[in-house]
Amino acid sequence: MVSVPSPTDRAHSATPAERPPLPVKLVIAGGFGVGKTTAVGSISEIRPLTTEAEITEVAAGVDDLTHTPAKTTTTVAMDFGCITIDPTLKLYLFGTPGQERFGFMWDDLVEGALGGLVIVDTRRLDDCYAAVDYFEYKDIPFVVAVNAFDGKVAHPLDEVRWALDIAAHVPLIVFDARKTGSVRDALLAVLELALSRAEAATAT
Amino acid sequence: MAVGEPVPRPHEAAEDVSGSPEPVGRAPAIRPFLLTAGRVSGGGNAPPMPLETQIVSTSAGLSALNSLTFEHRDIVAACRWPESVAELAARLRQHLNVTRVLAEDLCAAGYLEIFVPNARATQDVSVLRRIIDGLRAVPD
Ligand SMILES: Nc1nc2c(ncn2[C@@H]2O[C@H](COP(=O)(O)OP(=O)(O)OP(=O)(O)O)[C@@H](O)[C@H]2O)c(=O)[nH]1
Ligand SMILES: [Mg+2]
Repeated sequence: MVSVPSPTDRAHSATPAERPPLPVKLVIAGGFGVGKTTAVGSISEIRPLTTEAEITEVAAGVDDLTHTPAKTTTTVAMDFGCITIDPTLKLYLFGTPGQERFGFMWDDLVEGALGGLVIVDTRRLDDCYAAVDYFEYKDIPFVVAVNAFDGKVAHPLDEVRWALDIAAHVPLIVFDARKTGSVRDALLAVLELALSRAEAATAT
Repeated sequence: MAVGEPVPRPHEAAEDVSGSPEPVGRAPAIRPFLLTAGRVSGGGNAPPMPLETQIVSTSAGLSALNSLTFEHRDIVAACRWPESVAELAARLRQHLNVTRVLAEDLCAAGYLEIFVPNARATQDVSVLRRIIDGLRAVPD
């Protein structure tokens, strides 16, 4: 059973002042301005923090100046919050940068994630393709959650599922990124999915 | 490379020593190279430590606070209580990769302990159940 993190081989014999909790994380993805930061802020016990990371991007074409395949480093900001489950277990929520072009460069963010929540704004469905594709490709359990801006959803859910080509086994829900209980339930949907997958893996 | 001796690039060295003890505002883009001499976390091939990796000061680190350069001191002082590397970078307004490299240096010197989460935890049924139960207890 995994209950506490084990120090890495890099770790030193000097005693830490405090024993850290086991950290686990979920990733909140989706297009630009769909409500990722709002969702993190609605449930996090800390005000969402922002950290900047560099992401290496291999451009499709060649660099105009050098005529070599362009590998550029882009700085992206991601925000995150956390929920202390108990002194030994802490859940982190990381919001991905919204821009679609970062869809393939989330490896650093997503490494080790329990699952993902892809937020969709039905007025701009296209924006979430990258996130859906990414989680599918990485085989990370995810739920698609339509953020009901002002309580309204512009398209019925089955149309959304069809338009986004979301597989039948992927849960599709409606939620409100501004409401704690609604975000909690959306995260629970992701965790239930991760749990049933883990149970299935254990059974074999 | 020993902790406390970042190797600045020759032309940029002068700026580094003038830094104030409290970094203010966003870290300028050039600083990652100053602080870490261009090194990358994880030593090139190894994946960088995950964002949720927990970092805790050791008693040796806390005793050595006054002898550390300010970037190192800030990190050791901030990790009296465990912090994720992402929180640490955000609070110190450092680029994530800078924080990763500095933390690795401080760990090698015995001033910090780094707890990389066990990847198998994500598959652990009992851990998932505990998270679910804990989350269910969050009120509306
Ligand atoms: N009316 C309404 N506004 C919302 C809702 N969710 C988010 N917003 C607003 O929509 C805007 C964008 O929300 P954010 O949470 O910043 O979206 P984001 O996905 O983090 O955006 P980026 O990080 O820029 O991609 C903000 O002004 C929010 O206040 C909602 O459910 N209803
Ligand atoms: Mg945001």
